[in-house]
Amino acid sequence: MKIDRRCFLSFIVGGAAGTALSPLPWKITDDLSIWSQNWPWTPVPPAGETSFVTSTCTLCPGGCGISVRKVDERAVKVEGLKGHPVNDGGLCILGLAAAQLLYAPTRVRGPLKKVDGAWREISWADAIKEIAAKLADLRAKGQPQSVAWISESDRGTTAELCKRFLTVYGSPNYFRTPSIQDAYETALYLTQGQRAMAGFDVAQADFVLSFSSGLIEGWGSPAYMFRARNAMRQNGGRISQVEPRLSKTAAKADQWVPIKPGTEGALALGLVHVIIAEGLYRKNFIDSRSTGFDALKQIAGASYAPEAVSRLTGIEAKTIVDLAKAFAGAKKPLAVCGRGSGRIPGGLQEVLAVHCLNALTGSINQPGGVIAVPEPEYIDWPEPEMDAVASRGVQQPRLDGAGRDGFPLARYLLNRLPEAQTAGASAPVQALFVSGANPVYSLADTQAVAKAFSKVPLIVSLSSYMDETAAMAHYILPSHAHLERYEDVPAALGFPKPILGLSKPAVKPAFKTKYVGDMVIALAKAMGGPVAEAFGWESYEACLKQTLGNAWDTLVKNGYVVDAKFKPGEFETPSQKFEFNNPALAKLPAYAAQRAPGDEKSFPLTLIPYDTMRLASGPIGSPPFLVKALEETVLQQNTALVDVNPATAKDLGLSEGSAAVLSTPKGSARVKVHLFDGIMPGLVALPRGLGHTAYDKYLAGKGVNTNALISPVEDPGSGFEAGWGIRANLTRA
Amino acid sequence: MDSALIPKGVKRCSIGQFALWIAVVGAVLLWGVWAMLLCYFRGLNQTNMNNAYGFALWIWADLAVIALGGGAFFTGLLRYIFGKDELKHIINYAVLIGFICYSSALLILAIDVGQPLRAWFIFWHANVHSMLTEVAFCLTCYFGVLTIEYVPLVLENRQIDRLPFFHNLTHNMHGIMALFAATGAFLSFFHQGSLGGVSGVLYGRPFGFRTGLLVWPWTFFLYTWSAAACGPCFTLFITRITEMATCKKLVKDSVVELLAKIAGWMLLTYIVAKIIDTVYWAAVTAPAMGLTLMDFYSNNPGSAYGLWILIAEVGVCGVLPAVMLVAPGIRSNPSMRFIAVTLAVIGACLNRWVMVLQVQAVPVLPFEGWFGYMPSWQEIATTILPVAYGIILISLSYRYLPVFPQEQELNPIEGGK
Amino acid sequence: MDQQNGNTKKYGMVIDLDKCTGCGACMVACMAENNVPFREDDTDKLLSVSWMRVYRLGNGKPFPQVEECYLPRPCQQCEGHAGHSPCVSVCPATATDYDMRTGIVSQIPTRCFGCRYCMAACPYHVRQFNWWDPIWPDGMERMLNPNVSVRMRGVVEKCGFCFHRYQLATDKAYLDGRRELEEGEYQTACAQACPAGAILFGDLNNPTHAVHKIAQPDSTHGGRPRNPKAFRLLERLGTNPKVYYLSSKEWVRKAGDNQVQRTEQTPKA
Ligand SMILES: Nc1nc2c(c(=O)[nH]1)N[C@H]1C(S)=C(S)[C@@H](COP(=O)(O)OP(=O)(O)OC[C@H]3O[C@@H](n4cnc5c(=O)[nH]c(N)nc54)[C@H](O)[C@@H]3O)O[C@H]1N2
Ligand SMILES: Nc1nc2c(c(=O)[nH]1)N[C@H]1C(S)=C(S)[C@@H](COP(=O)(O)OP(=O)(O)OC[C@H]3O[C@@H](n4cnc5c(=O)[nH]c(N)nc54)[C@H](O)[C@@H]3O)O[C@H]1N2
Ligand code: SF4
Ligand code: SF4
Ligand code: SF4
Ligand code: SF4
Ligand code: SF4
Repeated sequence: MKIDRRCFLSFIVGGAAGTALSPLPWKITDDLSIWSQNWPWTPVPPAGETSFVTSTCTLCPGGCGISVRKVDERAVKVEGLKGHPVNDGGLCILGLAAAQLLYAPTRVRGPLKKVDGAWREISWADAIKEIAAKLADLRAKGQPQSVAWISESDRGTTAELCKRFLTVYGSPNYFRTPSIQDAYETALYLTQGQRAMAGFDVAQADFVLSFSSGLIEGWGSPAYMFRARNAMRQNGGRISQVEPRLSKTAAKADQWVPIKPGTEGALALGLVHVIIAEGLYRKNFIDSRSTGFDALKQIAGASYAPEAVSRLTGIEAKTIVDLAKAFAGAKKPLAVCGRGSGRIPGGLQEVLAVHCLNALTGSINQPGGVIAVPEPEYIDWPEPEMDAVASRGVQQPRLDGAGRDGFPLARYLLNRLPEAQTAGASAPVQALFVSGANPVYSLADTQAVAKAFSKVPLIVSLSSYMDETAAMAHYILPSHAHLERYEDVPAALGFPKPILGLSKPAVKPAFKTKYVGDMVIALAKAMGGPVAEAFGWESYEACLKQTLGNAWDTLVKNGYVVDAKFKPGEFETPSQKFEFNNPALAKLPAYAAQRAPGDEKSFPLTLIPYDTMRLASGPIGSPPFLVKALEETVLQQNTALVDVNPATAKDLGLSEGSAAVLSTPKGSARVKVHLFDGIMPGLVALPRGLGHTAYDKYLAGKGVNTNALISPVEDPGSGFEAGWGIRANLTRA
Repeated sequence: MDSALIPKGVKRCSIGQFALWIAVVGAVLLWGVWAMLLCYFRGLNQTNMNNAYGFALWIWADLAVIALGGGAFFTGLLRYIFGKDELKHIINYAVLIGFICYSSALLILAIDVGQPLRAWFIFWHANVHSMLTEVAFCLTCYFGVLTIEYVPLVLENRQIDRLPFFHNLTHNMHGIMALFAATGAFLSFFHQGSLGGVSGVLYGRPFGFRTGLLVWPWTFFLYTWSAAACGPCFTLFITRITEMATCKKLVKDSVVELLAKIAGWMLLTYIVAKIIDTVYWAAVTAPAMGLTLMDFYSNNPGSAYGLWILIAEVGVCGVLPAVMLVAPGIRSNPSMRFIAVTLAVIGACLNRWVMVLQVQAVPVLPFEGWFGYMPSWQEIATTILPVAYGIILISLSYRYLPVFPQEQELNPIEGGK
Repeated sequence: MDQQNGNTKKYGMVIDLDKCTGCGACMVACMAENNVPFREDDTDKLLSVSWMRVYRLGNGKPFPQVEECYLPRPCQQCEGHAGHSPCVSVCPATATDYDMRTGIVSQIPTRCFGCRYCMAACPYHVRQFNWWDPIWPDGMERMLNPNVSVRMRGVVEKCGFCFHRYQLATDKAYLDGRRELEEGEYQTACAQACPAGAILFGDLNNPTHAVHKIAQPDSTHGGRPRNPKAFRLLERLGTNPKVYYLSSKEWVRKAGDNQVQRTEQTPKA
């Protein structure tokens, strides 16, 4: 065979054409690419009818209005409700990630009972029957007061139902988890005689002096504070942030004044001193609307002169004087306190000092000032009939000593409960209900809390999630998630007007859960007798509808009712004036700067926990999106980073990213070092909201729980939790 | 055993020895294949690339082997178009090395993309503005050309050549080889250039960006030039390595010297152009984007990208080998010549490294720091995979094909066969 | 394109850094809106997908003069020169496109074959690669938004100014018999969510829109802002972005662009 050039070329061309014309390779190639675009393991969300449900977010006490976007029966996204007085369309990072909580793998899918250390499913009927039987037992033994209930809130129908249950059952031991609200409410009561919540008219103020309050770190109603802060700055207002660390609030403030932690109250008194000494206070308010001014003068006497305060706080005397002049010179100054998001504890004296500062400038119940927002009064149920056991039970002293001898001002002192439970030979709490709270994670010295809880023979958790407290419980009676239930939202924390919101079910409950309100009613009915009689409602929804009366329809439609024309009430003290002094105030010990517990020799540094919007630090654990949104200066893999001043780090031989051991008198943890010029030398800062042991793999085991490293501090005089930090040491790992 | 396949008049090691050698290299190849499968089935998370380092070791290897494979087109150009007939004694090997380089490049690209099954979208949905499109088209076409250039060599195997069909086919292919050489040179000019364009057009990346001529940045021309300069150096480098491995002289010094001389002049002219480019970029282009030369070479951890790298690339591996190859006295010394071509090869690799990796390491947003990257073992294994494959292909070709026309003459076998 | 033609929109953002609190809500709003996947460990930001990223900038000064600012960074929707965005012009497979009608740079994940050239081209690290298969824990896939397709492993994704919302808005307008969208009718998820109201979104070509009034883009100078408080990231590169930032602080404005005299090295976040 002879091949010439032409033959060769036709061979080449023919071969190529033949291959190209055969459909097989092309078909396979195309099919493979289509397959790669539709991998069966990559989900394709089903399309459907879009609808929106107007509701109120209950993930924190912020009271934001939400609009839940649904596609058919799926809740796809939670968005802010436009026009809502609190958040007007905006929403915080947690509220936005709420669908992840709804569909979280960590949801408890039905009632559980712990048998030999393992969870076993149980029916609702059996669970309630068994728990009712145990409660009946305690009642029969004449110990109804040994039943306690812990929750984050003591307002609204749900909290009232729980309290009512305890009352007719015979226990005074309802507990609200500690926060700066305890001190704020007490301060308002002592000086103004008003049983009210503190609202802050930040939007209308023109100078906000914040004592370590994280106005944009979740303090008060987070979304409202964001908007209010912008509004006031837009109008030319200024913010001075007094804080040991350059928090986001400090960074965005007009002035940052670093201060030794724990001495915020001393600075407030120092400012009071200057304002009085220079005669900068509002004379008309002091003269006509206050009493006891001389006592204040005395309290903020020579020992709070600028030089003395400078030594205490580490702030230059001139800065103190300037700050006082700027504050008193503003038209509508407002001083706020409560560290971080307001969940970091602080003492009553500190709040009182700051409150007096507001009073000196007349910023009380005035536009741009501190507003006493009355406690909601829409719940008006008939007094329950109590039998003898119950009457005797509720007369028993509270287990935490609140409202008695030592601490007449306090309503709840949950911080004192762990010690009470472990101190004596017999454990006073025999049964414990926990709803909307996660004390095993969130109380200081979590080890002591866990130890105390281990001495409770019956713990019933009503959590929707497998949190740390639920993990310790004997029964979990899971509540609906917040997008699956009706619930009244009696206030928006720190919002300067009374506002009532309604949380509505956006989707049907996904699991075999029961809302706390319904569970209480069912439990009461199972108990029979006077307990059952106190709960005439058929369901929680019926109870809520009846309670809200006329407001119901508006609430269902708009999601909220606000008293737009609200005017703060008059002072209700005996003098009808703002009392800088009265017998109850006089009994309080003198203010003293609060030192961090621990020995300074072995613990040369001070640990301060801090809040960030990107972590939920309350009873809810952060959903995956929040952990994902964390900065790499906060968490790396499973290790949390501590902020340390470069000078301090140098002394300790640590550099950026060094592995280190953070130890305190309460324990130690492995951390990494982040050098941060925005923290005072000698301090170590650690974010709150990490270090969970429960929840899912997206949260558990990441970072350190600050509460495990700090110890509780009892505020002298009030008994409130005041442990804002602890002595610490940081060593190379 | 396989003696019937071995070209006449040359001596090869025993089949056992050869099999052992192939087994050793084959093991490395299998390690690479394993890593490749991991990348396919588990995805590119097997690498240490990240969102700042989207191009990494592989793209560097790709650009480097293509630059070094440039010996094929340039030697072809010299031989077939410029009539440097002497180069016919090394053209086979240049083509073989080029074939290995280009097939490796395609293999690496097929691992590197996140969705290999639809990598053909680059042809189907081609974007004419993209340098990568140009690369893909020219690269594929040129690989076809190289295949056509390599096939006649395969057909020259003693047993295949005995079949009249293949014998005639080979003859005809040789007849039109000049056409393919011209096509190859044309295609190479564009894809080498467009590879240079890959970073040169990135106007968001001041380190890589270059102004230029018409639609092409200066790097377009510099890449083609450097491939023409360093590709032949690589051919010489591999030839020398082969000679060392086989303990034989395979190509006459006159041939080697000729190619070295041409490469030397190419390198010298290239490096002058490169220096002018660098100065212009440092003095005009970068400052217009708000940056100074030292922004690109300072403040990075461990001085991984200090000025040293520029000096190494342009001076030690550029000017120095260029001068060595151009100076007849140094060039004619085999050891010095080998050092020079080695430096030139390193220089080309360094240039590609800098233009791929440093481009991404340099912070562009003023509030970011340098980005670090260290390849994972999977990346290293898959990068070594083509090296192993190349060694195997060279070994097989050397054993069974008349790759070196001068081998017989230079290594006469005593006592027949 | 024809700037006079009323149909030519140039959607853009003005982000007020004085208002931004660094809270991260925009990041999560975007993730929830656009089905952005998450992983057990998402702390390596160079491996994690987030279409919006909030940077933390420092003025580089020691305690106590240190200052911080937070800078949210969506895709800058660069127009480049005549629509030759840095990323669009390089994509070999036309998997990303500059839409002349809206000025939005799209990304088509099913077209993308993962060559990552666009990532190398984008100076803002906007483009991110799906190194892993996206996996939602059992049940959580119920939250996925059907308006946005979930991306598969091996492709690049990025912010597209919530383009599906544009489509939904135009569809609605069409049904209402309108040809023009009202300001605010098409909003991105991040702008909608921001509790501080720091993100404004609208048509930069429309003189009645807030974004135009605030940024005052100078069309004779490639859209450079005339508002002295406004700046764009890396203005000098000529990427011609449609995201404008506002800051009253000079160091922040300087941190947004390379200055030939880099006076201080800002700390790496
Ligand atoms: N990035 C990205 N690219 C895409 C897609 C995507 O989703 N993302 N989708 C793809 C798909 S599915 C499609 S169909 C294409 C659409 O891409 P195109 O076909 O380019 O669609 P249009 O952009 O609508 O442009 C149509 C043009 O036709 C003009 N026109 C309108 N009516 C008439 C008429 O009666 N006569 C004439 N002569 N002209 C008229 C319009 O003014 C307009 O200029 O885009 C594809 N490309
Ligand atoms: N407003 C508006 N409407 C239009 C047009 C327009 O330009 N504007 N254009 C019209 C035209 S030309 C066309 S072709 C149609 C297109 O209309 P459609 O075909 O509806 O196109 P898309 O909305 O782009 O995508 C549809 C859905 O496909 C899903 N999807 C995306 N990628 C994948 C995948 O890889 N696998 C699977 N299984 N699903 C995937 C996404 O979830 C998305 O919701 O729209 C028409 N309607
Ligand atoms: S601030 Fe509180 S109430 Fe508002 S969205 Fe966030 S979690 Fe919900
Ligand atoms: S949501 Fe708004 S305030 Fe929060 S980080 Fe984003 S832009 Fe800033
Ligand atoms: S920011 Fe990056 S991804 Fe966005 S358009 Fe510009 S270059 Fe492209
Ligand atoms: S990664 Fe995808 S979008 Fe980016 S350039 Fe490659 S094909 Fe285009
Ligand atoms: S515009 Fe849309 S896609 Fe872009 S960052 Fe904002 S929410 Fe995400």
